[in-house]
Amino acid sequence: MIEIDAREMEHPLPLEVTVEGFRNLKDSEVIHLIHRREPLPLFEIISKNGGFYHSYQSDDEAWHILITRDCHINLEHFRV
Amino acid sequence: MFRRGLSLEQAPPIKAVLRFFITLPVFGLILSCLMIFFPAEILTPSHPFSLSAIHLLFLGMVSMGMIGALFQMQSVLGGAPIPQPLGNSLIIHTLFTLGTLALVSAFMFGIRELFVVTSVFLGSAIVYFAQILLPLLFGKITHDTLKGMRVAIFSLFITAILGIIMASSYASQSFSDHHAMIRTSHYSMALIGWISMLIMYVAFQVVEMFYVTIPYSDWCKHNIKKILVIALSLKIIWLFTALPFEWFFDMIIVSLLVGFMVTTTKRLYTRKRRVSDASVWFWFAGMGLLGISLGTYCGSLIFGYAPLESMSLMTFGLFALSVILGMMGKIIPFLVWFHLNASGFMETPVMSNIIPQKRLKITFWLFVSTAFFTLISPLYPTLLSLAGASGMVTFGILFFNILTAFKLYYHISKNGTKFRFNG
Repeated sequence: MIEIDAREMEHPLPLEVTVEGFRNLKDSEVIHLIHRREPLPLFEIISKNGGFYHSYQSDDEAWHILITRDCHINLEHFRV
Repeated sequence: MFRRGLSLEQAPPIKAVLRFFITLPVFGLILSCLMIFFPAEILTPSHPFSLSAIHLLFLGMVSMGMIGALFQMQSVLGGAPIPQPLGNSLIIHTLFTLGTLALVSAFMFGIRELFVVTSVFLGSAIVYFAQILLPLLFGKITHDTLKGMRVAIFSLFITAILGIIMASSYASQSFSDHHAMIRTSHYSMALIGWISMLIMYVAFQVVEMFYVTIPYSDWCKHNIKKILVIALSLKIIWLFTALPFEWFFDMIIVSLLVGFMVTTTKRLYTRKRRVSDASVWFWFAGMGLLGISLGTYCGSLIFGYAPLESMSLMTFGLFALSVILGMMGKIIPFLVWFHLNASGFMETPVMSNIIPQKRLKITFWLFVSTAFFTLISPLYPTLLSLAGASGMVTFGILFFNILTAFKLYYHISKNGTKFRFNG
């Protein structure tokens, strides 16, 4: 799993870094993005480019976004 | 695996937003021309050229930029994008632009019929915009920023109604006994209810998001809109009933704006990542200009010195413009980058290369020089021409910045190659 902790990154770095990571993602790989907000525009980019994501908020209010391009991977299993 | 209920068409088409943004510097160029050639007239309160300049600034630039930003931000902050964004933005933009031009021409050339044309165009634009946006702001999602936006749009609507009443007075050249009160209510609603409210509530969201600052306090977010609405409403009631101590409500509003200025400056100054970024400079400059505007306004109330009031109004416009330019510096590269990436183009540049920081910084310093000369022009009127010359260059570069970003988007979307996955 590739982890990107974007909680202290200034906008728009979290988006740029994650999209770059998504572009280079191998089939079975998963990106775990940690963000202080739910990055709605990122979801649109992933979906339109054949990717899949799962997002949830942890108790510390951080957003966790799991991203893959393999439709067979159940992202809920990667929840931390 | 997708998030519940999320529309995947969140962002409006780039054209829907950029048509507002690219019109802003065009009105800036017209205003700069006026400043160069008619400085004395502009600095004479209530002179037709002065009224033209004020409306070029607050309608053609500040409101134009704010409506464009709302087209972009509604989907992100409100959770529901504006429906049929291309068609609706075309209608609103066209009516708003024609209405502003008609109003400016009506004042400058003294053509009474144009006040009627203004009422039809600007009134239609604002009513149409409000009836599209307000229902979206009352959707399932609700938070303080949305509530602040509701108040701002409602204030814009009231501002337009009062503006239409005044336009009919100018068209018929018959001014009622209440004309001065209507005028004060008109600009109070515009400056406080529409512009200040929207800037503050958008700041509550974007300052933290863009610059990784500590969040504003919940007390601010919950209560500022309520206090502003009460103070503004009572001020207008006091005006129309000629009760004493109306300035008391002004002081409440000034105190809130001072609080906003101090907390925003503090947050920006203590932000976690101190990246050199022209957009944050515009926010700092905006807060400084807001402070000067509030200081000169208080000075004008205490000393009754007219140039201070003019200075206050001008710096308030520059404060709003500075914040809007800071926002545009973030929104425009983001929109280009986002739409190209969503379409999967490999040639999508990094956001910081879409409008190079160097050019944004030049725009910033030119804006500062324009603001500086404008600010001291009530004391030395000829300097307004210099401010106009500086404004010409500022808005010329701003226009070029937006145009090149737009052209880059179209070039890549027509000639670019679509991304293929590795692996």
